[in-house]
Amino acid sequence: MDQERLDTILSRYEGDAADLIPVLQDIQDQYSYLPKDELKVVAQKLNVPLTRIFSVATFYKMFSLIPKGRHQIRVCLGTTCHLRGGPRLMESFSHRLGVEPGYTTKDMQFSLETVGCLGSCAQAPVAMIDDKYFGRLATDKVPKILKLYKN
Amino acid sequence: MVNLTIDGRAIQAKKGCTILDAAREHGIYIPTLCYHQALKPIGACRICVVEVKPGPPRPLPACATYVAEGQEVVTSSPKLDAIRLELMKLVLINHALDCPICDKGGECELQDLTHALGVSVVDLEAVKLPPHKDYVSELIERHPDRCVTCGRCVRICRDRVGALAINFTLRGYFTELASGGLPLDCEFCGSCIDICPVGALINKVFKYRARAWEVTRTEMVCPFCGGGCSYELWTKNDRPLRVVNYDTALLCGRGRFGFPVVESPDRLKTPLIRENGGFREASWDEALDQVAAKFKEITEAAGSAAIYGVGSPRATNEANYLFQKFFRTGLGTHQLDNPGRYTYVQALKGLAAVFGFPQVSGVEKVAKPPLPFHSPLTTTEEAKASGFPLVLGKLKDLPKADVALVVGADVTPELPPLGWALNTALERDTFHLVVANNRKTKFDRRAHLSLRYKPGSERLLIAGIIKSLLTAQPEWAPTVIAGGFDEFKENINKVNLKDVAKKTGVPEALIKETAARLAQAQAPAIIFGSELMGQDKGLENTLALADLFLLVGRPGAPGSALYPVAEKNNTRGVCEVGVMPEFLPGFVPLEGAEPGPTLPEMLDLLEKGDPKAPQALYLLGGDLLRQLPNRSRVEKLLKKVPFMVVQDAFLTDTAKLAQVILPVAVHAEQEGTFISTDGSLGLLPRALPVNGVRPDWQIISQIGSKMGFAMSYASPKQIFAELALGMPRWAGMAPKNGGAAFTAEVTGQFVPFETDISLPGRRPFTLLVGKSLQHSGSFTTHEPCGTLTITNRARLGLNPADAQNLGLAEGDFAKVTSSQGEISVPVTLTPELPEGLVFLPEHFSQPAAQRLTLNSNLVRVTIQKG
Ligand code: SF4
Ligand code: SF4
Ligand code: SF4
Ligand code: FES
Ligand code: FES
Repeated sequence: MDQERLDTILSRYEGDAADLIPVLQDIQDQYSYLPKDELKVVAQKLNVPLTRIFSVATFYKMFSLIPKGRHQIRVCLGTTCHLRGGPRLMESFSHRLGVEPGYTTKDMQFSLETVGCLGSCAQAPVAMIDDKYFGRLATDKVPKILKLYKN
Repeated sequence: MVNLTIDGRAIQAKKGCTILDAAREHGIYIPTLCYHQALKPIGACRICVVEVKPGPPRPLPACATYVAEGQEVVTSSPKLDAIRLELMKLVLINHALDCPICDKGGECELQDLTHALGVSVVDLEAVKLPPHKDYVSELIERHPDRCVTCGRCVRICRDRVGALAINFTLRGYFTELASGGLPLDCEFCGSCIDICPVGALINKVFKYRARAWEVTRTEMVCPFCGGGCSYELWTKNDRPLRVVNYDTALLCGRGRFGFPVVESPDRLKTPLIRENGGFREASWDEALDQVAAKFKEITEAAGSAAIYGVGSPRATNEANYLFQKFFRTGLGTHQLDNPGRYTYVQALKGLAAVFGFPQVSGVEKVAKPPLPFHSPLTTTEEAKASGFPLVLGKLKDLPKADVALVVGADVTPELPPLGWALNTALERDTFHLVVANNRKTKFDRRAHLSLRYKPGSERLLIAGIIKSLLTAQPEWAPTVIAGGFDEFKENINKVNLKDVAKKTGVPEALIKETAARLAQAQAPAIIFGSELMGQDKGLENTLALADLFLLVGRPGAPGSALYPVAEKNNTRGVCEVGVMPEFLPGFVPLEGAEPGPTLPEMLDLLEKGDPKAPQALYLLGGDLLRQLPNRSRVEKLLKKVPFMVVQDAFLTDTAKLAQVILPVAVHAEQEGTFISTDGSLGLLPRALPVNGVRPDWQIISQIGSKMGFAMSYASPKQIFAELALGMPRWAGMAPKNGGAAFTAEVTGQFVPFETDISLPGRRPFTLLVGKSLQHSGSFTTHEPCGTLTITNRARLGLNPADAQNLGLAEGDFAKVTSSQGEISVPVTLTPELPEGLVFLPEHFSQPAAQRLTLNSNLVRVTIQKG
């Protein structure tokens, strides 16, 4: 465990139970997942039972207990996107990357997941890669987009 | 009272109760699933929906909706039935349906509901979830595929037990009960098992041993700690299989998993007589004849005071009462005591010094013959009582206090029900908890103030609290009539707060704040444990707390009381029935006769070779060598006694020194009563065969009869009737209650206490010998007691920094040396302990913690690797 890296994160907070979510967010950002050993330290430092941390960590989609890939692909399956080809888009990503939604490619480059409504229904179907939106996305554009991120 | 109708029936219900409460009280069935009477309702499952007018147009959960005047409630209609059916289908969508091998089968709430609601097909589908079954955790097995996500286990673990060891992970349909992806690492109380409506949590001790409908169920009191929990014992073919608490579901681990100790292969089965340096088996007749003959011989040669008795905080009231009768009426002496002398009796004496001995008036005999184990006395309208028992609190009232000061007690290991009561109290925002201890304990996490004092400095801290209260409020006066106040104030005036802060290690500001909180409290409670009573100055410690309570307590307010922990099942009872030289039954001080020596005084007499030292000892169980401080000395002294008789279930180290050992019945092999820490009567009915051993009361009565004393009794019921007739304070006493209410007249007398806190010796570490959560005395240390799988031996708790300095890692052996002796024990790193303090549980025979102690549970030690 990288104690220093974790301490840097923890040093930014008061050490209250109320800091749990922000601390987990920072860890998720930096490590791209929530490692178990780190969570045990967080439990001790914030005085929160470990079971509660797991409860929070598994409730929100933004957290993951297993390492995520370098890029996060989120395919929208909200109502509008669903009607306008979201599932087909999903299948295409899944097919190209060779992983089911919820998983990460072997080379740790991409994690694929589904979300409910990204708030851009007018552009449906929508997908997001890291912070960037891709609207009106037809399946034939998928290889090209993926290429942008592969290097 | 509120008037409403349920299904057209006019009903009166208490204000503030729920529709479900009202319906149940009137025998109207409303199905439920997430509701449990021991928890706050959360209205999650919606199986209990009812239609309420006036009210919103949608159905409401009966368990979480309060009654209101003029309400019309409908519990069953086509619409409601359809909702319930749909909900049930969702619950059953992927339920494992392995009822044939599920332990819950036959008493499963889901089975019952499915049947009651007539769910015949589930025409819904959802993906199957991987069942993350947990077969590896100790004592408890988890089957998430049987879980109905009612949250009852999560809530009892969080809100009552306070362990927060299990919680839901994921969400929606995927929600799963989990413990952080690891095997359970919790208190192993098993309360989650009993509260689960289905078979998702399984008791491994019971698993596959019987079906619920095959067992015989007997309600009884737990035989371990002073909590006095009652439970149902399940037996089949004369074997104990399981205990269940259907009422609150709460029991601690030793209560729930400890009972198999009854079937321990180590149990003594026949009387043993010492012969040629060993023991030989003997018949009951021979053994009892020998004891009686030897006792007679000794009394004829050396007088009846030559026999000394030690009663037992494990044995029933009936046995202990007969035991003191054997001495007082039979031999005509007061040569007896009980091992509580080293802990609980200190508290009683301290409290009695300040609040006086009990006085009771206005009690008369009941007209009709009483039921078995009911007091034959009752109170009249003028019934009055005074004295220290009135300031002893009841667990059920504790949650009504508004400030609780816990000092010198790691609450949960000492007395789990105290912890449950504190957790209940903590649900109210107005409740304040102050925890003072020499180390971090479970309740520090929830305390509003945490005071960390140096080991053994409790009474100086109390003096500091009193001083700062009186300095801040010079006009302060106790709420009850109290003598000696001026003198007491003068004494306290000499206390210097800076000095207190320095010597106790508690910052002045915290002492002042504690004093301020106690001063503001409308119903302050003071809780203390054997940790504080078991010091050599235990009496001074309890005097300090009694004075503090006299100063700030409000004995009229519910919950405002003192709560000393009575450690064992009958620690309080053995004292109440008079197994002490200076008290007759009912704490009546002995007058006009010379009390015999106390247990420590008796040992001193033996040491001095005094002519008054006993020639014979009669021990009613209890491994004195394991319990009393300074084991080597006690061993040496007991060996000096020419004739020793021990009644015990096990061949303890103490029993090995005896001339005659008489094997006794334990737990439900015998009938009788206990008095719990809060003074209520626990009933132990017989539910198991005795297999050749005998109950204590019978043995005492037989020895007595053989010696020509009028002590023949047919049953414990008869003994109880005689005992209770002489106990006016027990008027109205019946199983599961603590007797009738008296008009209380509490007065007190301030008694100065000593504030010198030096601990002799110069060794670098202080050792505290205390309690482990999974054990009760030495009773639970025999296989196959279930809790041995959690705590199977003594380990020395040590702060990680200390361990590092000593070059010790988890599991390494340490050599611990005191002025009295030396032991070798594996260490366990315990960050809760401050540097310089180490902890050793007292329960185990190897290594014997008491080899190190001198006259207290605190002793200075040196620690080395190896
Ligand atoms: S056994 Fe007790 S402490 Fe452990 S999870 Fe169950 S309720 Fe919580
Ligand atoms: S394990 Fe039992 S008590 Fe806990 S949520 Fe599931 S069904 Fe309810
Ligand atoms: S040991 Fe004490 S707390 Fe545990 S179940 Fe028995 S009486 Fe209750
Ligand atoms: S449904 Fe996809 S963006 Fe709203
Ligand atoms: S029992 Fe009322 S909502 Fe579950």
